[in-house]
Order: sequence, then C-alpha cells, then structure tokens
Amino acid sequence: MVSEEIWALIQIFLFPGFFFLFFLAFFTEWVDRKIVAKFQNRYGPLHVGPKGVLQPIADFIKLLSKEDITPRMADKVPFNLMPVLLLSLAITPLFCIPIVGSNALVSFEGDLIVIMFIMSLIAVLVFIGGWASTNRFSTIGSIRAGLQLFAYEIPMNLAMIGPAIAAGSLSISKIVDWQIHGFWNLFIQPVGFAVLTISLMAHLQRVPFDIPEAESEIVSGWIVEFSGKKLALIRLAKDFEFVLASALIVSLFLGGPYGPWYISPIIYLAKFFICVFILSNLRAAFARYRIDHLLAGAWKYLTPLALLQIFLIKVLGV
Amino acid sequence: MTFEIPFGPQHPALEEPINFMFEIEEERVVNVKPRLGYVHRGIEKIAENRNYQQLVYLSERICGICSFAHALCYSQVVEELLDLKIPERAKFIRTIVAEMERIQNHYLWLGLTAKEMGFETLFMYAWRDRETIIEMLDMISGKRVNYGMSTIGGVRRDIPEPMIKRMEESLNHLEARAEYYTKVCTKDPSILKRTVGIGILRPREARALCAVGPTARASGIPRDVRADEPYAAYGEIPFKVVTYRGCDVASRMYVRIDEIKESIKIIRYALKNMPEGPIRVKAPMRVPEGEAISRVEAPRGENLHFLKSNGTDKPERWKIRAPTLANLLSLCRMLMGVNLADIPVVIAGIDPCIACAERIALIDAKTKKLKVWEGKDLWRYANEWYRKRYGL
Amino acid sequence: MRRSEIRKQLRIRARNIIVQRDRRFFVNIEKKDLKRAIRRLMQMKNYTHLSTITALDVGSMIEVIYHVAFTDALVSVKVQTSKDEPIIPSIVDLIPGVALYEREIHDLFGVEFEGNPDLSPLLLPDGWPEGVYPLRKWWSVDRVLSKLGGKR
Repeated sequence: MVSEEIWALIQIFLFPGFFFLFFLAFFTEWVDRKIVAKFQNRYGPLHVGPKGVLQPIADFIKLLSKEDITPRMADKVPFNLMPVLLLSLAITPLFCIPIVGSNALVSFEGDLIVIMFIMSLIAVLVFIGGWASTNRFSTIGSIRAGLQLFAYEIPMNLAMIGPAIAAGSLSISKIVDWQIHGFWNLFIQPVGFAVLTISLMAHLQRVPFDIPEAESEIVSGWIVEFSGKKLALIRLAKDFEFVLASALIVSLFLGGPYGPWYISPIIYLAKFFICVFILSNLRAAFARYRIDHLLAGAWKYLTPLALLQIFLIKVLGV
Repeated sequence: MTFEIPFGPQHPALEEPINFMFEIEEERVVNVKPRLGYVHRGIEKIAENRNYQQLVYLSERICGICSFAHALCYSQVVEELLDLKIPERAKFIRTIVAEMERIQNHYLWLGLTAKEMGFETLFMYAWRDRETIIEMLDMISGKRVNYGMSTIGGVRRDIPEPMIKRMEESLNHLEARAEYYTKVCTKDPSILKRTVGIGILRPREARALCAVGPTARASGIPRDVRADEPYAAYGEIPFKVVTYRGCDVASRMYVRIDEIKESIKIIRYALKNMPEGPIRVKAPMRVPEGEAISRVEAPRGENLHFLKSNGTDKPERWKIRAPTLANLLSLCRMLMGVNLADIPVVIAGIDPCIACAERIALIDAKTKKLKVWEGKDLWRYANEWYRKRYGL
Repeated sequence: MRRSEIRKQLRIRARNIIVQRDRRFFVNIEKKDLKRAIRRLMQMKNYTHLSTITALDVGSMIEVIYHVAFTDALVSVKVQTSKDEPIIPSIVDLIPGVALYEREIHDLFGVEFEGNPDLSPLLLPDGWPEGVYPLRKWWSVDRVLSKLGGKR
C-alpha cells in the first residue's frame, strides 16, 4: 500500500508530473527557437549548455531576478494575480493528457470539455491582464486577444470534438485508447487536424497570428507592462501552452503513446516533437496577418470546414 | 470612441526617433500629426564654422545609410562653385558607389519592411544578402558605412582590376537573390495581404505633396534626378526609371526590388566602360563668392544641397534638403484611414530617415541662467511633470 | 528651358533672371508677385515639383528661395523680406507639399508665412522662447557657448 502511494507521488512530482513537464516546456522552447533559427539562417541559442540547450532556463532565472514593476495606474489585484493564474491554468490540462500508457494521471469522462474550458479561460485571462495594466498598447493588445478568441475558439473546439464523436467518449485517455485499437484520427479526419493546427497557432499567438502582441505595431501588446517575475511566469506559461497544444494534437490525432511503459514515453515524445516541428515551421513561413484577416478567415473557412468534418463523421460513421 | 496613441519617439517599429500622434477610431487612423526634433545635431549651423574640407566629413554624417549621396551632393555643389572639372574616371567611380549604396539601402529597406509585417524570416534573408554588398563596399572603400569615397575634386580611392573581378561575382549573386525576392514578394499570400492596397497615395496627391524618389515612382510618376538632371556618369549610362502604378506599399516594394536589378546593370556597365586616368584633381581651400545648387538621387529620393559662399574658406549658408522631409507629408496622407496594424508597414514604406530630415537645432538655452541637472533632479522633475499633467 | 521662356511666362524684366549655367536659373521677384510667379511657373509644361524652400540671413533682410524643379531645369525664385517684419505670403494653398518647409523656416528664421494654417514648432522643442531664431546670424556658436559657460 505504501509503495503505491510513493509511486503516485513520483508520478505526480517527477515523471510524468511537474518535474518532467517543466523540463519538457523548457526543452520545447529551445527546440522551437533552434528550428526557427535554422529556417531564418541564424544560429539561435548557442552559449548556455551544449548547443544552448539551457538558454530558456537561464532566461527564466534571469527574469526572476529582475526588477518587478507594477504601474501606478494598474489595477493591482488582477495585474498581480494574472501571471500566477495563467501559469497554473496552463499546467493543469497537461495532467489530463496520457504520456505513459494510455491512461493519464487525471482521467475522467469529460476532461476534454475541461481542457476546452481552460483554454478559453486562458484567453480571457490574457484579456484581463492586458486591460488591468491600463497601458494604451496593452489595452489594444487585450482587445485584439479578445477578438482573436472569437475567431479561433469555435473552429478549435469543433475540431477537438471530432475525435470525441468518433471514439464515442469525452475522455482524452479513452480517445487515445480507441485510436490504439483502431486508426489514427489523422487519417480519418485530416480536415479536422488542419483546422485544429491553425486554430492552435492562433491560440498560442504565434507568428501568423501573433496579433495581440505584435511587437512592431503595439510593442508586444498585452505583455508590455509585465516585468521581472511576472514576465518570467508568463513566458513559462506560454511554453506550457505550447506543450499543451502539441500534446493535444498528439493525443487527439496522432494516436498518443502505446506499448509497454518503457517504450510509450519515447513514442509519445517522438510524435510530440513532430508536432513541435510543424508548429515551428509554420511560424517561420508567414508574415503577420491583421485581426480582420484572421476574423474573416476563421469564419469563412475554418468554421465551415470544422462543421463539414463533423458532418462527414456522422454521415460516414467513421 | 477616438483615442490618441503616441507612436514614438521610441518605438520598436522606428529605427530613429520621430513622434506621430495618431487619433484612432476603432483601430482606424483618423488624424495624424508628425513631430520632429529628437535627433537634431545642428549641422547647418555647425557648417558655418567649418571649412570646406571638413564639411565633406560632416556631410557624410548627415545620414548613416545614404551617406554617400550626401557627400556626393556636397562635393558637386562645391565643385560647381570652384568651377572644377573632375576626371571622367572619378565620375564613373562615383556612379558605381552611389548605385552600390542604393542596393545596400534597398535590401535594408526590404528587411525592415518584412520585420514590420511580422515576417522575420524574410528580414533575416534580406539582411544576409545585404551583407554581400556591404562587404563589397568595405573592399572598395575600407569601411562598411560612411565610405569616405567622395571628396572635393574627385574620389579618394580607385577600383583596381582584381576588385572588379570579385565585384562581378557578387553582383551575379545579388541579381539572383533579387529575382528570388521578386518571386517571393509577388507570390506569398501573407505579404500580399499586408501590402496590396495599403497606404494609398494617388498620383495627383503625390504631385501636390511633392513626393520624391521611390515613393513618387510607386505612384506612377517617373521622377528621378538621375534621368532629369544627369550628374556624375549617369548621362553616359543607359538605364530605365522604374515606375509602378499600384500607389500602395506593394508597389513601393516592387519599385525598390526592380531598382536593385537596374542598379546592378548600371554597375556592370560602368565597370566595363570605366575610362583610365586620374581619380581626382586638387581643390583650393578658398571658394569664390557665389551660390550653387546640386541635386542627387539618393536611395530614398531627391537630395538637394544649396551652398552660398562668401569668398572665405567657410560657407555662408549650407542648406540640405533630405528626401524624408519631402516625403513626410505624403506619409501623413497615406496614413489617413489606415488600420492601426498597418501603420508600421506604411511608415516603413517611404523608407524614413529621420536624422536626414532634421539637421538644425541647438542646445536648448531657454532659461537665461544655466542649471546643471543631475540624473536625480531630472527624474524628480519628470515625475512631477507627469503627475501634474496626468494627475497620476 | 530658356531664359526667354521664363521671361515670357513670368512677364518680368530680363535682368531679374540670372542664368547661372545650363539648367540653373535664379529669378529675383518682389514679395507681392511671389504667388503669381509660382502659379505661372507651375503652369509651364515641364514642371515637376517644388524641391524645397531655403532661407538665408543676408544682413538686414531675410532672403527666401523657392527651388522649383522642372525635368530640364531648376528655377530658384528669390524673395526678400525685412528682418523687422518678416512676412511672406504662404504658397501652401498652391502646393500643399510645402507646409513642412514653411514650418521649418518659421522655426529657424522666424519668417511668418501669411496664410499657412499651421505654423506650430516642427523642429524646435516645446517651450522654445519667442523671438529666438537659431539660424539667424546673430545666434552664433560663440554666443551659445558663452551662455553655457563652456569653451570651444
């Protein structure tokens, strides 16, 4: 009995819990930076650790040690709470995603809905954070973040529901399980996969859709007033969001991990970094769109396509 | 709801300090007021206390990017007053360096505009290719910027035979890259979305607002000093004035990319037909009394220098009109009705060089008694001022 | 472009037109004729744009030069105004593009352009004192240095 409890603690705190997730987040950031740098003919991080692999951790520690400024005019409580909430909200859904075997640490019927809810909450938090800093640029950035939510949320959720309908369950673990015994959803629902990838780019506010923080227009938008520890937490939260996005694609469309416990994490990570590669690749290949381009595109193309995918699943029964 | 957004003096989209006060209505610009004066160095006043040889160096420091255009313009205006005939070879070398500077500037511009669009990859690519041309300039002149090539009476360095060989190789590479950028910028959907139909300046408006350089040429006006009033060796070299009729940022982009190709052709022709001979003649220190005007097509547009001499070794008045000042009003016109997200792209579209536009001002001597402020006092003053003004 | 064409177009005496060299013309005119002259120059067939406006401190007068560009020439129209009452009619209604040049000269030489709606400071800082025009000759570098208490 005791050993089981210790086992559970190890799972939560070491692997695949906090410790593993933190390092996965930092490592993903490094991979992302390296890939984008390669595409852009640069080196990327080089100096801290072998090939600069420790650079994200160094950045994090450096930001923690910097001066933390709260603007005089800011709405103090939401402004100070926002980075902490953002980080915790970004980590929480990761526990619902199976990494070892087809069972996640936290798994219940309907955890997919919870993840959707949390992802919307993150966007709302971004809006609140930008609004509370009462800077003109962050106000515009947060308004854009809110508008962007209207654009990508519905196609994203529709695309996430597709696999659930196919598997007949709202639990991510069960969807993964269903795929292990059948086909990957990628082959059954290619349209849903594309829609989810694009919407996740918008959710992550990465380059073609980094509209709320466009640094050449509104000086990094809603983040502009955050500094020191708060900025460190926000950046870490963004890394976690990136991990979450890749992990969701792996679990919903690429079949998740399978095999015995010592193989499954490796297979999982291989798929995971393929997703990271796709997302980084997209980031390097485009110029930033305008908010009206995104809204029009999302409602004209993404949403109908996502609906079409669900319709196909229902009609064809696949 | 309209609200005012300050854009600058410090802003990541601006390489140099200028202030625009935008009135925004639902992300659309309804009014814009420019304000200069953040990088005044008082060059026109300084000039009245320097001799003509020193001013060659000062003229190069008016602008970091189009430094040769200013130095060339200044040298020409002094040569006209002195009635100097400069050697043919010097004229060709001037043309070559001026065109190389144009290529360098246009690649720089392409990279910056890509950055304003949020297209970092293109920015990195364009700037890497700019490195090639900068290395060539470094080879010829010994410097990467502020080449120090033009002087009164000719040029300071020759281009020997081995250099010409290496330059031809680099030019081939640059031409291939320019073709590639034409392909990218006419095909890539995200670039087209951000540039086509953005920042419209109609030909009639461009004429009325006296736009110059690529800004005017992108509105279909073939206004080019090189063709209208050939200086250096431009009269002997065939080239075409690139114009586009789109009147938007995309046209400004295509004009510049095509000008890169045209410049490469000019350099090739000049290298091939460069006559032998001396590269400069001796110029006297004293300049006879008189007035002269010289115009040069800088990468950004028409450059005008007016010089009035009084018979001594120092000028009476040296007036500089850089292209950015001429294009600033056109810029304000383009910005009207533009989406907030497009402001950086439109501003980058005229290739502003603020340091060029403003050269005149002095140390602020508003209070008769001088007070030396320490950092702490300044900080306190600034805080009090803001508290009073905004009630913080 | 030839001297006779300018003379015919502007209807002024030939001695007021100085041909400096090929493509360079200087035209001396009265202040009151400025607008008419610019308008008539604009009607000529090779007119492109007005390059810039230069101001000069010439003793008791301020000379303002309008550089009008043609495809085949540059005509500089010279006007003089006294320092005590430096008023010149603005041509911003003819050529909107000169607004900034006029503001610049207003800043640095104190010339009032009658008819220009916006002559607020363009280059000089806010709070610059009235009646101090840095590019006039009395405002020398030595004067600034003595005020600052420094040496050259």
